[in-house]
Amino acid sequence: MPVATQAAIKGLTPQQVEALGVNLILNNTYHLNLRPGIEVLKEAGGAHKFQGLTVGPRVGEAMWRTVRWLDRCIEFHQSSGKDDVQNLFAIVQGGLDPDLRDQCLDEMIARKDKVAGYAIGGLSGGEEKEIFWRVIKQCADKLPEDRPRYSMGIGFAEDLLVCVALGVDMADCVFPTRTARFGVALTSNGPLNLRLSKHATDMSPIEAGCPCPTCASGTSRAILHHNITLETAAAHAITQHNLVFQARVMGGARDAIMNGTFPDYLKTFFAKFFGDAGYPEWCVNALRSVGVDLLEGRPDVKVNPGDYAKWEYSDAV
Amino acid sequence: MAVHPLFALAKPATDKFGPRTGILTIERDGSGVHHQTETPALLTATSRGIVPHLSRDHLHISPAIQHVQLPFESFINKTPPVPTLVDGAHPLHKFLGYSPERHILTMTLRDPSDGRKMPPNGNDFVSAHCTRGVRKVTASTWKTYVQKCKPDIVVALSDTPFTLPPHSQKRLTKSIERSIAWLSNILKVLTVSSTPDANTRPRHVLLHLAGGAIPDARAEFADRLTDPIERRDAAELAPLNTLDDGVAGYVFDLLPLRAALEAESQPARDEGDLAGGLLRVSDRHRSSPESSSSLAGLLQSSLQVLPPGKPRILNSPASPHEVLRLVRDVGVDLVDSFWAQRAADMGIALDFRFPIPDGSVSTPSGCAPPRKRKNGRLDLGHNLFDSPYIHDHGRLASSLLDGQSATTSDGDQPVCGCTACSPRSPAARLLHSTIDSQAWQDAACPTSPNAAQPPVTRAYVHHLLHTHEMSAHGLLAMHNISVFSAFLAGIRSVLARDDSVAEFAREVTRFEEAYDEELGLWDEAEEMWLLVERARGKGRLAREKEKQAHSTIGTAVDI
Repeated sequence: MPVATQAAIKGLTPQQVEALGVNLILNNTYHLNLRPGIEVLKEAGGAHKFQGLTVGPRVGEAMWRTVRWLDRCIEFHQSSGKDDVQNLFAIVQGGLDPDLRDQCLDEMIARKDKVAGYAIGGLSGGEEKEIFWRVIKQCADKLPEDRPRYSMGIGFAEDLLVCVALGVDMADCVFPTRTARFGVALTSNGPLNLRLSKHATDMSPIEAGCPCPTCASGTSRAILHHNITLETAAAHAITQHNLVFQARVMGGARDAIMNGTFPDYLKTFFAKFFGDAGYPEWCVNALRSVGVDLLEGRPDVKVNPGDYAKWEYSDAV
Repeated sequence: MAVHPLFALAKPATDKFGPRTGILTIERDGSGVHHQTETPALLTATSRGIVPHLSRDHLHISPAIQHVQLPFESFINKTPPVPTLVDGAHPLHKFLGYSPERHILTMTLRDPSDGRKMPPNGNDFVSAHCTRGVRKVTASTWKTYVQKCKPDIVVALSDTPFTLPPHSQKRLTKSIERSIAWLSNILKVLTVSSTPDANTRPRHVLLHLAGGAIPDARAEFADRLTDPIERRDAAELAPLNTLDDGVAGYVFDLLPLRAALEAESQPARDEGDLAGGLLRVSDRHRSSPESSSSLAGLLQSSLQVLPPGKPRILNSPASPHEVLRLVRDVGVDLVDSFWAQRAADMGIALDFRFPIPDGSVSTPSGCAPPRKRKNGRLDLGHNLFDSPYIHDHGRLASSLLDGQSATTSDGDQPVCGCTACSPRSPAARLLHSTIDSQAWQDAACPTSPNAAQPPVTRAYVHHLLHTHEMSAHGLLAMHNISVFSAFLAGIRSVLARDDSVAEFAREVTRFEEAYDEELGLWDEAEEMWLLVERARGKGRLAREKEKQAHSTIGTAVDI
């Protein structure tokens, strides 16, 4: 679910996003209330029409406030007359404290009949990954099976797949679009920093076989290197690619889950994406908790402790 | 090898100067396929090889973009330049994502819209800009690049001084000598050559007509072109009798000409007032009947002795008014759309029409025409930064219909075919898993491909501009190119009338009386645009980059 904070996926039109096979987009009501404002959105006939879319001790205090807000939201939602076209999700808060999370889960599950789904919030704020996945698991284990679960602010491919393995259905993040604007293209072999001079004469596409408009039209790494951070169109090209990359990762997960091959899908993905660079230890631990052993049959693979993520740094030339 | 001529006038020229129509033809090697364009036609401007703000899918659904001008200088930061490393019959098309079937590429060294002061050229080189500063490109090097890149059309190197005007007679004489020598260089086919590439003459060579703002110098340059070729060069230039025989068309870069004319009347302006590099020299240029008349005189002094049947290419006109007068008084065939594209950078949506419909300009309900100035004339567009557009849910241009309302309209008002005014649902959607097709089966969501959708509104673009969303400029660029293309189509339609010369003159006068040439709107847009640009700030961007480099995980908060 890519992010269109200000009612636009950066650089792209709604039709372009639709062509990429993406039909979930996140808008931020906070930002849209500031600009263009509720009056303009009402005149336009709603946020969809406005942007041309054709769809659909402090921590504890905050947690309880969220519960109270949820009750007010439910009341407003039910009296708005729009509860047949708009879905209200509850956000599970409680920070990194398992007890607070548990209390919050109890409160929100008690209101299950009045909400369409659950978001898992309060993460992706720089916490340790070992703690991150345990909170996700705690929430996913307890939330009702018949409601979608949405992890907020999850964007790295390995994070997405771990979340899916722990029982999450959807996620949003600015990462694929923001990193694109800084010249980083996502591939199944890991991120590529197209600003690095090693790409200057590379005539190959970002990823061979990728169906995105950028790769399918033969856009070379060389021309992207030439223009990234200097021409907006280079950002658009990588944005289109990265959205398709994320959508493919999740589409592949859907197929694998339906076919009963999800553990193999995870193993294949990690082997290709991290390769010799090594697996993040937290991913290995998280997936072991649901019975998938990434290291099975791969005794030689390196395991990186801490919050390791594969990255081509952009300060190199 | 029989080469189809690049250009043919619709009617044999009876006068040297005056409005005319014609057809530009490009024959693809061996394929027998011709690409034809009716003139006067639009020449799209590019930056670093691409049409600014347009992704490749947008490029390919912009019907107005056919002729594309490619300044090569951004690529000379590497030796050899990367485009010269590309294989195939159409290396430039391939590398930059243009379609050999739809796009005609004109390769030129310098960006004709870049009026910055430059170090002087030398006897054998032009100073050109790239990210690593100024680099020298010699005539021979240029020839090598052209041979590798195989553009459809190439502009020969010419010595246009970009040092501060005014330029002395001596400087202009030098300019003429060098430009002649460099033209001769690119036309020469080496009789003894080690590489096969060096043994071909580029198919279509355009020439910038030198001589600056001095009519006699311009006439002399033209004379030199038509002089018989000297005996010592005859073998390498065969079968040409004159250098002009090897020239497929004539280029007029108006930016340096305007600067030179201005320098005659007032002291040269320092570039220091260009808002710290955010503005271009051309952003401050304005046209008037007087300036157009001076330019027409200069163009005529070049063309007096030259054959009328070759295409004339106009770079960087300052307004549609100027284009109309130069079409009327000189006759030009290809006009670059830099002015229209630059307006998109500044948040302006163009909204004008030529010819003006009979009677008054009708005001379709729900779509306000541009504002009227104190001088009684209409703006040429809308400054969408401005607050009246917060609540304006109309399409971008009142003077052209959008694709969806065109289906219900019975008038003959032309349609703006740009993706902002005539968006369509995608021709196809990528499916990422076997169940994805279900995702598009919602009854509320039309799934038919290429279905007409409602136009982008002014309120939406206003919002995008104020939230610094790049999509604003993409939508405006496609729109403005489309409006400018419709303007040129309008010129052709008037020239197709009986008594076309008189009719055209009449329509030009009507246009001059209806639309504001002082571009007050541009002054206002520039001010607001600069405010937003400055608010973005370089410091913040740098911090974001640093943050990104050390990024651990994304957040749901916008940059």
